[in-house]
Amino acid sequence: MIKLVVKRVVSMVAILLVLSATIFLLQKLSRTDPVHAYLGANASKAAIARESHILGYDRPLVDQYFHYVKGVLTGNLGNSLRTRRGVATDLGAYLPATVELTLFGLFLAVVLGGLLGLASAGRWRGAAAFRLIMVSGASAPAFLLALLGILLFFNRLHWLPATNDTAYNNAPTGPTGILVVDTLVHGQLAMWIDAWKHLILPGLCVALGPAVSIGRVLRTSLVTTMRSDYVRTARSKGLTERAVLLRHTLRNSLNSALSMTGLQAGLMFAGVVVIETVFAWPGIGLYTDQSIPAADFPAIGGVTLVLGVGYVVINTLVDVLQAVADPRLSLA
Amino acid sequence: MTTVLRRPRGQRAVGEEPDVGSVPGSGPIVSIEDLRVSFVRGDREVNAVRGVSLGIERGEILGLVGESGSGKSVLGLSLLGLLPTSPSPRVSGRACVAGTDMVAADAETRRLVRRRHMGAVFQDPMTSLNPTMRVGRQVAEAAAAAGQDVASLLDSVGIPDARRRMEAYPHELSGGLRQRVMIAMAIAGNPSLVMADEPTTALDVTVQAQILELIRRLCDELGTSFILVTHDLGVAAQVSDRIAVLYGGRLAEVGPATSIFEKGRHPYTAGLLRSRLVLDTDRTRPVLTLPGEPPDPRSHPPGCPFSPRCDHHRDDCDLALPELSGGGGDATAVACLHPVGVDDVTADETAMVAEWPAVPASTGGRDPAVIVHDVHKDFPLRSGPRRTRLQALRGVSLEIERGESVALVGESGCGKSTLLRAVAGLHGVDRGEIEFSRGMSAQMVFQDAGASLTPWLSIGELIGERLRGEGLSRAGRAAKVSDALALVGLPAEVAAARPAQLSGGQRQRVALARATVVPPGVLLCDEPTSALDVSLAATVLNLIGRLRRQLGMAVLFVTHDLAAARIVADRIAVMYLGRIVETGPSDRVCGDPAHPYTRALLAAVPEMGRTGTRIGGEPANPIDPPTGCSFHTRCPDQVPECASRPQVLVTLGVGPGSRTRSEGSEGLDPGIRQVACSRLAPPSEPSPTEPSPTGAAASDGGEI
Repeated sequence: MIKLVVKRVVSMVAILLVLSATIFLLQKLSRTDPVHAYLGANASKAAIARESHILGYDRPLVDQYFHYVKGVLTGNLGNSLRTRRGVATDLGAYLPATVELTLFGLFLAVVLGGLLGLASAGRWRGAAAFRLIMVSGASAPAFLLALLGILLFFNRLHWLPATNDTAYNNAPTGPTGILVVDTLVHGQLAMWIDAWKHLILPGLCVALGPAVSIGRVLRTSLVTTMRSDYVRTARSKGLTERAVLLRHTLRNSLNSALSMTGLQAGLMFAGVVVIETVFAWPGIGLYTDQSIPAADFPAIGGVTLVLGVGYVVINTLVDVLQAVADPRLSLA
Repeated sequence: MTTVLRRPRGQRAVGEEPDVGSVPGSGPIVSIEDLRVSFVRGDREVNAVRGVSLGIERGEILGLVGESGSGKSVLGLSLLGLLPTSPSPRVSGRACVAGTDMVAADAETRRLVRRRHMGAVFQDPMTSLNPTMRVGRQVAEAAAAAGQDVASLLDSVGIPDARRRMEAYPHELSGGLRQRVMIAMAIAGNPSLVMADEPTTALDVTVQAQILELIRRLCDELGTSFILVTHDLGVAAQVSDRIAVLYGGRLAEVGPATSIFEKGRHPYTAGLLRSRLVLDTDRTRPVLTLPGEPPDPRSHPPGCPFSPRCDHHRDDCDLALPELSGGGGDATAVACLHPVGVDDVTADETAMVAEWPAVPASTGGRDPAVIVHDVHKDFPLRSGPRRTRLQALRGVSLEIERGESVALVGESGCGKSTLLRAVAGLHGVDRGEIEFSRGMSAQMVFQDAGASLTPWLSIGELIGERLRGEGLSRAGRAAKVSDALALVGLPAEVAAARPAQLSGGQRQRVALARATVVPPGVLLCDEPTSALDVSLAATVLNLIGRLRRQLGMAVLFVTHDLAAARIVADRIAVMYLGRIVETGPSDRVCGDPAHPYTRALLAAVPEMGRTGTRIGGEPANPIDPPTGCSFHTRCPDQVPECASRPQVLVTLGVGPGSRTRSEGSEGLDPGIRQVACSRLAPPSEPSPTEPSPTGAAASDGGEI
């Protein structure tokens, strides 16, 4: 267990080094001049050269890279060229909303995926209908779901809000930055309910695609396990079908569904950027969306590193869960 | 542990289930009447069971014997009410267990009958136990209703240290222990009937003998009835009270086990008995076989299903299905119009005896095809500081002469397959050498012929692959392929077929054709017959025997079955935990075994009423093999020095029964025998730390 975590931390460092190196290379290749963007369209050549020197952009790329890595190690992600604040400070402001949306989305994806998998694997009439839902769900892109959701639940039915994560201007910002927690901590019940209302639609849009993928993998796995010898043994003991499914089949089918969850978590980070833009959700998706046109590479690099860390952490968690589910996998 | 387990025996959980089944102790536990089961696959109907009527008494073991496709497993699953649902089965007739008809009853009633009255043991204990649940809990699930204590259940099926083993997961137990857990689970609910479907087929012979003994003991002590479904008449005969022989979904013969075994009257029973390999089968000529292949359940003939293969066949056999008749007392009931011993027409066995083709005269003298010299092979199991290594081969030396057939025999994990793969070059060795003589090459035939043939290639392509680079034209290649097919007894049309279209026996023939299309110097066989039906296994053994004589190949044959080894091989090498413990001419090793392990293997060969020195337990852990003679932990004859003396092969004299060591082994005498048993080794000899190759350590010739 400890060995696994140590291994993962080592691999995380390697992943982050490669990620940041890639970002640097892309910056060089993109031919956009961040200093030009920083100073504005009318800046003189001399001013740009002076500012480039101050910011270190005139040094060799390798030098710049090492300087950056050194900064990262001390918690300094550099300054955003757009907001003129530290990238770390910006992330502190935008990240919690994204964490909130992603965790909720992941939770929904796992729950919905599990239900879809179980419902469509069963031998009952509705199973075919669930399989149809899964096929159509998989073919609908997330932004389309978001737009349709807004049209239906906001424009037509007026059930749910369409933008931002709260309707209140005085919503609490601490201690966690996650609104559904903070409002509860401050005892603001009306704000808490409002926060959930804002969360549901973007959360569902983020979760639906992954849920369908997880559900499909789980279904295949369940169907295969149902035909296994040990499930026949369980039936020969005269156990009820319910006990056979929950006690003997489900746990043995989790492995591939967990792998898929890890994979989908990574893809979800990409999906969140789109969904946050559609719903004007104040998270790092929105932040990234605004940073890219400004060629704000310190900001983009910071976001990429944070997403990389999140990806490795979630997949480590998946590995641990897989080993818990199946004792044959050792954690070595 | 749930509280249910601690409830006193016989008391049932409140609200458990309504009363299902008859009053215990009256009438037969099973009565099957005209049971028919068929499956529709595509547009064809597969008739698995075609009208079987059979009863099983309380406290009786019924052996249900048949080849694949005979319907024996479908019959067993019908009784459990667990027939596969897709393709959906068509069932008619009655299959009553404890008074409930498992054909007509609804799913919930069938479940309750299983819960209250039945238990089941399946073939492969690795796949039949839930890998993610501790075995104690799995047994507890079955024991809940009867309130039996799990630890004492595990104890009663001979699992040592039961309390600790309850916490184990299936993969942490050996194959034998897993099957004992399955049996504990089957008897946990105090069932009246246990359905055991090939319970020993996946196990080693020594463990098979232990499990069969256990089944007999449980039947005698608990009064539980058992259905023992098996393809091996010998296994059935060893423990059953009665035997029912199935053929083509019909009962061919039913009767007391001794009567069936000693004077089976159905030509099929007689044929099975004839083609069984036993330790005194004549090995100087091909084994007697049943001609033909098991019936295709999709197209049964209108008359007797056995008629196409029957040497008693007459015209009236094909008119109608023969019904069981006769029986009672010692006699068997037989479904045959012309049973053996009544009006024999061609029951002249000598007419079927074949001869081996003539062998080209040996050049004489020492002419090895392969020399294996002091080979070691480890498999790392875990890397890092606490790394462990599985020691698969711990110093094996072996010479195979040109044209000679050598069998490697031992339990699973003894290293026999590792050695074979090393000779095939499929993996390297850590230490030692494997040397082929000039012009010698090796080809391999695997156990599962179906899995070893690429499914999307035609048979012609599979065989023709080996002819690439021979500079042959397309037509020349095709001619070579049909020659190779003809040599293994297959028509040339087979070249166009895909592996899935062939039967198991045909696939193994194709595998042999592929290996011999360019005759190799050495043919390596990895248990090529153990996945085949008894009658087919004999055919394949004969085929290997003929091919090697015709093509002048040497054969290295890996098997766990000493009877098969004796038939196929000139010389047998018995392996235990990565070392050869005894080697010598087949007849001598089987007729006069010197090593206690060889004796134990021989005693475990299933045979009616066989007794002998059974060994307990299972092979020791190859990660940390015992010191000295690695067999001493299980050896019935062990003395204290067995644990300390090095395990060294010494050469024995060749006289029958003599235990004289002869002069060293130069010039490889084919009759030479070597044994690695410290009790047979000279008491005071400068002992090398490793077993010496080819018994060179034996130098002085005194009596022991």
